Amino acid sequence: MQKSRRFFNARNKRELLLPALFLAPAMAVLLALSIYPLIYSITISLQQQTGPDVSWGLGNFTRLLSDNFFLTALAHTFVYAVAALTCEFLLGLGLALLLNKQIRGRGIFRASLLIPMMLPTVVVGVVWRLMLNSNFGAINGTLKEFGLNTESLTWTASPKLAMLSVIAVDVWQWTPFVFLVLLAGLQAIPQEPYEAALIDGSSRWQTFRHVTLPLLKPSILIVLLLRTMDLLRVFDQIFILTEGGPGFATETISLYIYRTAFRFFDFGYAAAMSFVLLALTNVISALYIKFLQAKETI
Amino acid sequence: MGHKLAQTARYILLTAALLFALAPVYWMLTISFKTEVEQFAVPPPWFVFTPTPNHYHDAFVTRGFGNYLLNSAIVAVTSTACALVIGTLAAYALARFQLPWRLNRRLSLWILSTRMFPAIVTAVPLFLMMRDVQLLNTRLSLIIVYTGFNLPFVVWMMRGFFADLPRDLEEAALVDGDSRMGALVRVVLPLVAPGLAATAVFCLIVSWNEFLFALVLTQTDASTTLPVGIAGSVTQFEIKWGVMSAAATVAIVPILVFALSLQKYLVRGLSMGAVKG
Amino acid sequence: MRPALSLFLIFLVLLASCTKPRKQLTLAVVAGVEGEALKQAAVDYEAQTGVHIEIAQFPYSNLFEKELIDLKARSRAYDLIMMDDPWFQRFAHEKVLTDLTPLLQRLGQSGPDPDFVDTSIALCRDPYKTGSLYALPYVGNSQLFFYRKDLFEKYELKPPATWDDVLTAAKTIHEKENTGADGEKMYGYVMRAAQGNAAVADFMPIFWAFGGEMFDASGKPTVNSPQGIAALQFMIDLGKLSPPGYASFNADDVGAHLLQGTAAMSINWPAWISAFSDQSKSKVIGKMEFTTLPGAEKSGQAEIGNWLIAIPRDSTNAQAAAEFLVWATSAAQMKRSAQRGNPPTRKSLFQDAELVAKNPAYPAQLRSLESSRPRPRTPYWNEIENAFGIFLSKANSGELTAADAMNEANAEIEKILQRAQ
Repeated sequence: MQKSRRFFNARNKRELLLPALFLAPAMAVLLALSIYPLIYSITISLQQQTGPDVSWGLGNFTRLLSDNFFLTALAHTFVYAVAALTCEFLLGLGLALLLNKQIRGRGIFRASLLIPMMLPTVVVGVVWRLMLNSNFGAINGTLKEFGLNTESLTWTASPKLAMLSVIAVDVWQWTPFVFLVLLAGLQAIPQEPYEAALIDGSSRWQTFRHVTLPLLKPSILIVLLLRTMDLLRVFDQIFILTEGGPGFATETISLYIYRTAFRFFDFGYAAAMSFVLLALTNVISALYIKFLQAKETI
Repeated sequence: MGHKLAQTARYILLTAALLFALAPVYWMLTISFKTEVEQFAVPPPWFVFTPTPNHYHDAFVTRGFGNYLLNSAIVAVTSTACALVIGTLAAYALARFQLPWRLNRRLSLWILSTRMFPAIVTAVPLFLMMRDVQLLNTRLSLIIVYTGFNLPFVVWMMRGFFADLPRDLEEAALVDGDSRMGALVRVVLPLVAPGLAATAVFCLIVSWNEFLFALVLTQTDASTTLPVGIAGSVTQFEIKWGVMSAAATVAIVPILVFALSLQKYLVRGLSMGAVKG
Repeated sequence: MRPALSLFLIFLVLLASCTKPRKQLTLAVVAGVEGEALKQAAVDYEAQTGVHIEIAQFPYSNLFEKELIDLKARSRAYDLIMMDDPWFQRFAHEKVLTDLTPLLQRLGQSGPDPDFVDTSIALCRDPYKTGSLYALPYVGNSQLFFYRKDLFEKYELKPPATWDDVLTAAKTIHEKENTGADGEKMYGYVMRAAQGNAAVADFMPIFWAFGGEMFDASGKPTVNSPQGIAALQFMIDLGKLSPPGYASFNADDVGAHLLQGTAAMSINWPAWISAFSDQSKSKVIGKMEFTTLPGAEKSGQAEIGNWLIAIPRDSTNAQAAAEFLVWATSAAQMKRSAQRGNPPTRKSLFQDAELVAKNPAYPAQLRSLESSRPRPRTPYWNEIENAFGIFLSKANSGELTAADAMNEANAEIEKILQRAQ
């Protein structure tokens, strides 16, 4: 123990040299690629292009409040995140509980469920554009086979169904992730508390509520954290599937930022919107991490 | 009896989930082999059709998808290698040295937080930066961005793998007269090799799949990657479903090979090392 | 793990072995038939002159941003850019294009060939019609009205001269063709009302015919005028005879319906005409008729949608690019482009006997083109079109009434213009 302290404790300056050297390249890269861009972003968000001149001020931020497109996109992002997260979590948990038994073919189920989440999101967009096309897509084609009238089922083309469609696609791709992590969490739970519950005569629901859920909490939190981050910044699939349409029905913040920056070339305003997204993400992740830290899982 | 029923229900539900997960991918695969007439046929031919290799020929010989594939491969491999080297060193320092001011924990959390940035937030400034240093439309710009993108992940994964190793091994090596660097290279790295490989595969997948930065930073065939190429097969008047599906099918082959080789480390990788599945 | 990695590396080496020759000019083109013809021309040019031309091809929705990014960033990725004409004003406003007149003079021409159609060459000047020349027109698109001759004859309908005629005909066809017996559903009309370019392009001819104007003389937006609202209401009524989901249709959906013979009428671009006689695509060979657009309060005017070619100001190969540009837009080369399916921008080619024999719609096309109207010439057209298109699409999907949609669109357009001031 004494020796180990000496080996790894870097108390004096000379002993700090090696870890500093090891850390330096990583710090340099991260500073250059995330901190510097952030500062750059702040500067451009405070600039406004007014005619040929550039003026400084909070104009881009006040504009956010009166921009209906922005507020709508924000609302869409929330609807998308909450709905997809709920579905993915419930379905993933259900599947994990189903497969948390020694059954034959478990490897095959696991391997196949892995496929959707590993696919490039662009490919996911392509796959579902093919499936959901109202004229010749596989879904409507197959429904017609069963004698259903698919005329009103225009999926991504209908303002009512479009949001539902893009959420369903997210659920398709990411439920397996929730499932795999929760399954790993379930399998790490020791047998003893279950045996104790059995002796106490707890019902199945009571066991689940008082034994499984509390012990699964760290895995649940990590899943919710990572999924929330990804859902709030969703871009690729929607970009391919609907490009925010029909109308504005599936436009999320990331898409609107993209459009503002790279189609309208209003980089300042795009940067201002980015900050709102970043702040949101940070607040939410801070809440999750607070929970996680209390549990000392990281 | 009740048990058997439950078992059957379990299988039915799982099979339904499995079909739901795989059917769309299978459908895309069939589209890539169908002629236009069969692509649009109603009712859709799920199983019986006359396969044609034309779309693959069209995509990879007539169109530039071969080139996009090359760009994707170069960018993914190079950026993964860079992220691994830089990230492993940092992870070792964080896992093995006790730094002052609780830096181990603070730096780790800070590194993790950079991973939480939504891509679009950094896309705008990174685009402007790349423009200023004249790196737009180069593979190098993508390699740099993806290295930064994967770095936090490598640090977190490798930090976990290092922490799993007992310290005695390195101490023994040190007693035997190795330098610290020597101990890392000769003793520690071979032991974490499987973890390192798993981390590498994850980085490869992320870089291979990435779309937003590639969309923003590329302009011509010289740097266009496969996802951007696939997204680009939508023309104003028609969508080249066959070409798109053929390219997408090719894009997922390496991913599937990698993903299946990863099974053991999958959950750990997916949860940034937080859950040791 | 190891086989997977080595597989990947082998793959990499194989790909690396096929490298490309050095380029001399880079040309940004749109994916689709317009860009395809220019790609072919580039191949011919290389064979003739030895100048290699690299092509960067993008889907319509990405092309503008790629080009403007490159030009503004001065990253010099492109030496020649192909652009849809409503984008021109933005490029000109940003001052990122080369004035072509000196380059033409060096090639012994005093200005653009007078053979170019006036409405086309007017688009290439900033200010519109009168200013300096920054581009040359390559594809002479302007909208045409497509209808099913056979059905019009069958139900003794007169060729559509007004939008009322169109509505009546669409209703008749819709009722009589869908007797509930067998076969596929037949729609009286098909339009595209996806947000953005699509909805706006299909709406403008109706809007103009009803007497609507986007801006008044002082430049204030006036889309919510009574005429404008009436025009949108008419579009919605006509939409009831369109296939469901048309509020998210793009040109590909419209084309699919016409080619499959499931819709009877539409506004579309001439580039589609050749597809109707292609046996592998069309179920309606010989049944389509193409004419100029219907009128209402005012006579019908098509929206012009030419593809122009320009040279970025920062191109390091401006003279070589100009040589290619002049070559590609010459009568001889444009004729080849026309044979590949693109409408020309030269009067002489619209009257070329050989071409007219193959393209019976050419006289109608020339009439349409010469009487066509451009979209408002403003550098902020992309923002305006985006906002306007969203509200048009919303009105067509039933989310908003015509009046609400136009009022909201007007307010948004006003905001965009205020910011630009």
